[in-house]
Amino acid sequence: MPDKETSKLEPSQMKTDTEEPRIGVYTCYCGGNIGFVIDCERVADELGKLPNVVVTRTDMSMCSDVGQTMIEEDIREHGVNRVVIGACAPSLHEQTFRGTVSRAGLNPYFYHHVGIREQDSWVHSHDHEGATKKAIRLMSAGIAKARLLEPLEPIKLSAEKHALVIGGGVAGLRSAWDLSRRGLKVTLVEKSPFLGGHMAQLEKTFPSGEEAGGLLGPLIANVVSDPNITVHTYSEVTGVRGYVGDFHIQITQQSRGVDDTLGEAAMQACKTEVQDEFNYGLTNRKLVYKAYPGCYPSTPAVDWDHCPDGYLELEIDGRQIKLENQPKTFDINTGAVVVATGFQPYTPLKGEYGYLEHPEVLTLPQFIRLLTLIPEGKELQLNGHRVHNIGFVHCVGSRQIEGIHEAQEDGQVNNYCSRVCCTATLQAINELRQRYPDLNIVDIYEDIRTYGRGHEEYYAEASANQVLFMRFHGEEPAEVVRATDGDKSPLLIRVKDYLTWGEEIEVPVDMVVLAVGMMPTSIEDLIRLLKVSPGTDRFLLEVHPKLRPVETAVPGVVLAGTAQGPMNIKESIAAASAAASKVAVLLSRGKVELEPFVAHVDHELCTGSGECVEVCAYEDAISLKPVSMDGKEVEKALVTSANCVGCGVCVSACPNLAIDLQGWTLKQYDAMVDALVMDMSAIGVKHE
Amino acid sequence: MSNRVDLGLLKELKEYGHVNVEACFNCGNCTAICPLSTDETPFPRNNIRLLQVGLKERILQSTDPWLCYYCGECSETCPRDAEPAEAQMALRRWLTAQYDWTGLGARFYTSNTWAIGALLFMTVIVLTLIALFHGPMETDHVELNTFAPIHIVHLADLVMAVAISLYLFMNVYRMFSFIILKGAKVKIPLSIYLTEAWNLPYQFLTQKRFSECEDRRPWLNHMILASGYALMFAIIVLFLNWFQTDNLYPLFNPQRWLGYYAAAALIYGAGMAIWGRAKKDRQLHKYSQLSDWLFPILLILLAVSGLLVHIFRYVGMPLATYYAYVVHMIFVPSIYFVVGPMGKWAHLFYRPLAIYFQAVKEKALVAQTAPAVASVGAD
Repeated sequence: MPDKETSKLEPSQMKTDTEEPRIGVYTCYCGGNIGFVIDCERVADELGKLPNVVVTRTDMSMCSDVGQTMIEEDIREHGVNRVVIGACAPSLHEQTFRGTVSRAGLNPYFYHHVGIREQDSWVHSHDHEGATKKAIRLMSAGIAKARLLEPLEPIKLSAEKHALVIGGGVAGLRSAWDLSRRGLKVTLVEKSPFLGGHMAQLEKTFPSGEEAGGLLGPLIANVVSDPNITVHTYSEVTGVRGYVGDFHIQITQQSRGVDDTLGEAAMQACKTEVQDEFNYGLTNRKLVYKAYPGCYPSTPAVDWDHCPDGYLELEIDGRQIKLENQPKTFDINTGAVVVATGFQPYTPLKGEYGYLEHPEVLTLPQFIRLLTLIPEGKELQLNGHRVHNIGFVHCVGSRQIEGIHEAQEDGQVNNYCSRVCCTATLQAINELRQRYPDLNIVDIYEDIRTYGRGHEEYYAEASANQVLFMRFHGEEPAEVVRATDGDKSPLLIRVKDYLTWGEEIEVPVDMVVLAVGMMPTSIEDLIRLLKVSPGTDRFLLEVHPKLRPVETAVPGVVLAGTAQGPMNIKESIAAASAAASKVAVLLSRGKVELEPFVAHVDHELCTGSGECVEVCAYEDAISLKPVSMDGKEVEKALVTSANCVGCGVCVSACPNLAIDLQGWTLKQYDAMVDALVMDMSAIGVKHE
Repeated sequence: MSNRVDLGLLKELKEYGHVNVEACFNCGNCTAICPLSTDETPFPRNNIRLLQVGLKERILQSTDPWLCYYCGECSETCPRDAEPAEAQMALRRWLTAQYDWTGLGARFYTSNTWAIGALLFMTVIVLTLIALFHGPMETDHVELNTFAPIHIVHLADLVMAVAISLYLFMNVYRMFSFIILKGAKVKIPLSIYLTEAWNLPYQFLTQKRFSECEDRRPWLNHMILASGYALMFAIIVLFLNWFQTDNLYPLFNPQRWLGYYAAAALIYGAGMAIWGRAKKDRQLHKYSQLSDWLFPILLILLAVSGLLVHIFRYVGMPLATYYAYVVHMIFVPSIYFVVGPMGKWAHLFYRPLAIYFQAVKEKALVAQTAPAVASVGAD
């Protein structure tokens, strides 16, 4: 093919898929990431010998402007009509180059990306020769596929300009408000009867020291007064159908049990008390209750979880009144879903650092509530015992090690860092120091991770104010034991303190505060309904931690706040705003575009056996529908593109080979496999 | 023995002058930069940690604070401004008070009222004794030995020396019991005590460790001061009959120039210390407690009043000589009973002793493992 180097074709001709493929092959050095291991020039030379390859080039950084312009010029001026790029993983730059190709006037799916960094140079960094040969093989497979590429169009769907936000904590509230301000209608559902989430239970926030209530209150007021936002408290998502742009969500709402006229009287009349979860069980509340003063809605609610029969009988003004739970179910139509289901503080196991064995052991969230319950100027007491010495233990339920820490019910330990607890603990310590200057405070940590702007100051303040820090290693956690009778303080913390050369030191304390980590709220049902995936740490997983940090693998479902991982309020709000912005970009045009890599049925070959429908894991993705062929009504498999994720299970199940994945056809796979096992010397490549 | 946290210790040490130990995050920079610390004695980090945690017994058993000579490099480079060098100083003050069996040391270090009160008390005692025992005041010409009969002065001198020695001996024994009896954790054969004994006079006379600081000027000042003090001490305790005399000697007579040297060295050395502390000229002088001022000030007053006695005698001013002598006499016991065995003066003995005890402990530890090596050789 000697003439191909010089021949030129008009751009209009390039778009046709019937013409002879003219392949441009581009090998990226990726700085030195690829180039230091793989001999990119040799790869380019060898691949240039393959049929249909008309241009081979290398560049230090193909994704740079220079690199992209080079590709565009080759398409425009050298008649390249298929592009193969060997570079980093496609998850990083596939979209970049798809843009490059389409800017040059070529169908963006006439491009194939080969990952020779993650799959080659990084894993074979000590074998330059082997890595180079592997790159030649991988890219020749890419070239083989490129010969068979067909033009594709993104799937376009009309979209409802409405978003559903699940969760009425700070992330959900912020997402809802941001979405509304971008002109979308929003429905916010909150499982509990009141808005506010965990932030409502805090006193001060770091790093500014502002009152949590002072920040949350206006946000709630904005949301509930916004005509574009509909709030449903005491509500849960109980059904999900549809796809991005057109979800049909079923919501089930519990009755509040009382209305404004009856509410206060019912609270008075109710005599039964249960542990108040708002104060983490430090106090009790009634069955008819308000979560906290000034909460929204201001109407009390009946705690049905503690009314096993679903009703509550009260005597109000001499009358016997029966309050009943009559849950109602309704559907909404929405274009996207923001999951802001939040976290729950880790609950230590019985006996973990003496928790539930010694009443002097509290968790940090409990302690923060305790501080709010003690009036300013009153001494620090627990169960009538004056506290002189107090110990804080970090990393409880975080950074756990299998075999060292007792596993939870699901057999797992929390090996992640909860990130927020270090600063939160130090903030509580500083607050404590201000209120009780004579208190002896010991802070027992594994590492101090005050990572955020303005966080380290909390450590500096604590260490300047007579707080003794002790450091343990994760493999040797501290233990809390009851002191012997002669001791003044009821408990001893035993810690191998690595600041004192690993010696075991005993800390006599009157109270122990466990800085517990974060765990995701249990949302198994919702995970099942939305088909989103949790990570091994049980938090919901994003598509890519850097490039698509708030999107899930399910189109139209995004994450906001601590459902995704431990975050502080600032980060939750940033994530919530990012989620809102993603949804707004998705829905604001009234239509959404999806990748065309979905199943396609050739109705000539389909016999309607239905085996594809049986194996498909996705609702309404493939189904048998009557179609008329040659004047006859026959059952054929039909794909609903919006619901298909392109997993390919149906392709393998079809006995007639009637199904193919667009962009990844069986023929393309065959060609790639052939290329991978081809004897390269047959085409003049001598290095095999 | 369990290691139990005692947060009271750091608060107690505040009164002995630690500045900012709570800020320390135990990075160890201080020990890394210290020219004097060793693997066996990794101060200041180790005893700063003991101080933070409040492991009182362990500090009492340690020689480390005495092995520090306040080069000050640790404080200059401390990333937390925890002032580790001043912490060592505070620990020396505290240890001095702990070694003191009377408890007076703790009183004087933590209460300026007590320290000044004791000075006034000593003044009254001295004036009373002089009022009771002084001889006739010859006004025609100077007869100091008639006013202050030498046999009485010498007797008082010796009585005081014995009392101070006994007092000091008790304190040294307590130091020994903390560091060796409780803290050695190894059996020490008598031979090691003897073979290491050279440390005591050697360190006493040379202050060798002090000279290992990078900046050697403080050591030089201190050597000058110490030589003047030692000389004067020897003259007064051993040769008072020769020194306190009514004879007039020519300038080249050793009785005169030895006295001049000692006085000049005392005034120069103590003066430099006072000047440095007033100007805060180096890390060593940045923080001062009353005890740090009192010792050099008393030394200067002692030397200056002694010189005045001498000058008045030579120019033939009898009354001036006698009054100057009375003033001079006030400062002598003050030094020993206010900043003496219970105070800063005691470092003269504690420092060489600490080096000695440390050497003994380390040698004993080596000896403990050595027989095993020897028996391997024998096989």
